[in-house]
Amino acid sequence: MNYPVWYLPGIGGGTLIALIAVVHVFISHFAVGGGLYLVLAERKGLREKNPGILDFTRRHTKFFLLVTMVAGGLTGVGIWFIISLVQPAATSLLIHTFVFGWAAEWVFFTVEIVALLVYYYTFGRMEERTHQAVGWVYFIAAWLSLFLINGIINFMLTPGDWLADRNFWSGFFNPSFWPGLFFRSCIAFLLAGVYAFLTTSLLKDLELKKTMTRFTGRWVFISCAAGLPFGLWYRAVLPNEARLLVDGASPTIARALEVGQWALAALILLSALLVLLKPRYHSFSLSLGVLVCSFLLMGSFEWTREAARRPFVINGVLYSNSIAPGEVEGLSARGMLASARWAGQKDVHEESLLEAGEDLFRLQCYACHTVGGFNNDIAIRTASMSYPVMLQYLETIHERRYFMPPFAGNAAEKRALAAFLVAGLHGKPIEAPAVAGGPGQAIFEGNCAFCHDEELVRERIAGWPREKVRRALDALSSLDPAMPDFEGSPAEKDLLADYLASPPAAGAVPAHHDPGEDVFESHCAMCHSLEGSANPLLPKIRGWQRDRLRGALDRLEQLSPAMPPLSATTEEKEALADFLTHSLQGGQR
Amino acid sequence: MSPLIPTPDTLPVPWGWFQFLLLLTFPLHLLLMNCMLGSTAVALYARVRGGESGRRLSYELAKVLPALVALTVNLGVAPLLFIQVIYGHFIYVSSILLAVFWLGVVPLLILAYYGAYVYDFRFPSLGRQGTLLLATILLAFLAIAFIYTNNFTLMLVPEAWTAYFRNAGGTVLNLGEKSLLPRYLHMVTGALAVGGLFVALFGRFVGRRDPEAGSLAERLGLNLFTALTLLQVLLGVWFLIALPREVMLLFMGGDLLATGLFLLGLALVLAAIAAGLKRRAVLAAWAALPLLVVMTLLRAYVRAGYLAPHFSLDQLQVVPQYSPMIFFFVVLAVGVAMVAWLLRQAVKAGGKGQAF
Repeated sequence: MNYPVWYLPGIGGGTLIALIAVVHVFISHFAVGGGLYLVLAERKGLREKNPGILDFTRRHTKFFLLVTMVAGGLTGVGIWFIISLVQPAATSLLIHTFVFGWAAEWVFFTVEIVALLVYYYTFGRMEERTHQAVGWVYFIAAWLSLFLINGIINFMLTPGDWLADRNFWSGFFNPSFWPGLFFRSCIAFLLAGVYAFLTTSLLKDLELKKTMTRFTGRWVFISCAAGLPFGLWYRAVLPNEARLLVDGASPTIARALEVGQWALAALILLSALLVLLKPRYHSFSLSLGVLVCSFLLMGSFEWTREAARRPFVINGVLYSNSIAPGEVEGLSARGMLASARWAGQKDVHEESLLEAGEDLFRLQCYACHTVGGFNNDIAIRTASMSYPVMLQYLETIHERRYFMPPFAGNAAEKRALAAFLVAGLHGKPIEAPAVAGGPGQAIFEGNCAFCHDEELVRERIAGWPREKVRRALDALSSLDPAMPDFEGSPAEKDLLADYLASPPAAGAVPAHHDPGEDVFESHCAMCHSLEGSANPLLPKIRGWQRDRLRGALDRLEQLSPAMPPLSATTEEKEALADFLTHSLQGGQR
Repeated sequence: MSPLIPTPDTLPVPWGWFQFLLLLTFPLHLLLMNCMLGSTAVALYARVRGGESGRRLSYELAKVLPALVALTVNLGVAPLLFIQVIYGHFIYVSSILLAVFWLGVVPLLILAYYGAYVYDFRFPSLGRQGTLLLATILLAFLAIAFIYTNNFTLMLVPEAWTAYFRNAGGTVLNLGEKSLLPRYLHMVTGALAVGGLFVALFGRFVGRRDPEAGSLAERLGLNLFTALTLLQVLLGVWFLIALPREVMLLFMGGDLLATGLFLLGLALVLAAIAAGLKRRAVLAAWAALPLLVVMTLLRAYVRAGYLAPHFSLDQLQVVPQYSPMIFFFVVLAVGVAMVAWLLRQAVKAGGKGQAF
């Protein structure tokens, strides 16, 4: 809207954010927990007067310095760079709202750097108590950095009272602040142990190696045990929509959580093997395995947290595509292209339909979808949709899929976007808007087609005289209470009645004549293909009889929390069940 | 006013606070950056020049280089934060236009930073590769400076932003800007000069342990400082006349304060050169430090001058809330006290800790 979009269709800005962010959080949490590890390991060495432990701590400090200060510090700057490049509007809002929070975080970052440099370079040269104090200063400053960033990150998920009062403190101490803080602290201590498995594995003195591996193992087990209740608390404070997504309504979260569960199980098993059962197996490569598990666990958590606020980048404030919910109505009236500062096309013309469509894709979809890329590829998701279905889908996209923002723009722009997605990406035909069926068909498409398949309507009214059709148009709600009355003028009703009562014009109706296939296209094809690369449906229902299929269509939401209920009429469901049964039999009737 | 300029977000306190914090923290970043760049250049030169004392000096500088990188990055965070608050709607746009290069700063820095640590930790075993490594680090720094100059000039010229409609992939550079090259050379030369002065002062400290390397550092550093500051006079004139006429005239009586600062800057340059020629490093530092501050203020005038047809800071809306700022100032006071305490402990502990 306000800012240009850095357009790398094959890669996607979201992918870049995720890559940098996951690496950064994996190091920065270590930078917090690892600080406490250093202080306590040193204290252990001092108390036990064990030079071996002290020497290990010094070496571990060097490793810690190189990992956290260089890679950790600079990927932190990297996150800041990439979010302002990919999500400038949201970044600007966060910077302007929390500038003094960020500034205070910078102070702690400074103290961290100085403390760590002093701690490392004076190891063994400084008076013991003072050196311990320097270590504590480092850890406390690092944890306070986490404290501040945690407030801002969780604000994006649960802005809470800030939505009403726009107060810094309401936004900062938002509903998920405390569970987030405790949960992240546990992750930080877990990672302190996981990284230390690497350096303890290199110890030559076997007795020392055993002592330090035990010491390190405690960090892993206690953090896992403590993290669990905080994780549940975190889930409990989520707003309803977010909790539904986390509980399974979002297919990508479900996948992420599955990875996370396996990673956690493997992490605990491997750690138990190293620490309790067979300390002599404790090698660098096994420790690396634990590290990879913790990386997957962390990635799964961050992915879930990010995905739980969809379709928003800041919950309730800004959609992922930088459009505010309050702007949608105005954009639909004025047009998105005319309102967006950085749109190349300012208007939709038939000769530049695809260019305008690509501009709209860039402004509204590209924030989450790549074109042919690894992440959330729009080409796969739209592969089985036809132009009319796409138009219809764009109309109600946010109702069908909670995690999608609504389309913002006027009718011509919707056509342009649909044309880009169908013809631009897949080279499929787009029916011209002023169609063979004349104005009557245009009225049908503008008013009825979102809910009704034309062919099914024609089947339903087969044999009706024109006058009966015309009369029905005056009182649609009496035909079915779920149907709103048609608000068109009498002349429009006449045209529509003419159109519906006359035989379908050649070419106006798609070439295939299985009404069930139309239902499939308009209700299932945005997430499923029959047997393609996009979540193929047939393998899932192989061997099902028609009755079982038909029954399932009435309770899709119970089959999988990721599925919305099928909002189709009984006739449409019957047609869909027929179509799927035939498709299972290899398409033979 | 260009229709491409985004609408800015509101501020929690009047813009003067952010301008103050920006101009307070930016010279600190510049100072550290100058020391970092100068140390790298002199370390490379001393190494290439050969000789045992040159080699030892190169190593002494290598030992402080990682810490200088860390602090330069750290002190860069604050001004980058504050500039986003008052000029975010310009700097975000220009950053996006050259996004590939802008994001490239991060891997370049990681390369240079790890390179600096490798050079420090592996110094004795590096041989000829050490020269190559240092040259790579220096090149990375100079490349980063070029990207910065591009971004911070592109943010000033909304007329040039239409390049986006030919290239949305984030690889636009601001090569059409007349002042780009002189500005880059002016900044880099100034940084190397002040960095040279840092090396000269650092040489006095090294001299306590290693008089030969110490005096080499003093000599090389002061030579670099004096020669480059002389060159800077020419580059400064080139930069000045490459500015748009209205901006240049600000310093020629167009704006009284800007003109006064400009004259003060000139006087400080002359004082610095005189001190350099007399080989008085400490005196030169007393001229160079205020000069650095004056230069940042002049730079702020250049920025405001460029943007004058489009924007002035008075246009920013304020929705006041002061308590977070008070919280920040308290944290800042505690932080400064903590850093002071840490440094005192480090100096007391002696040894390598004294390097800071």
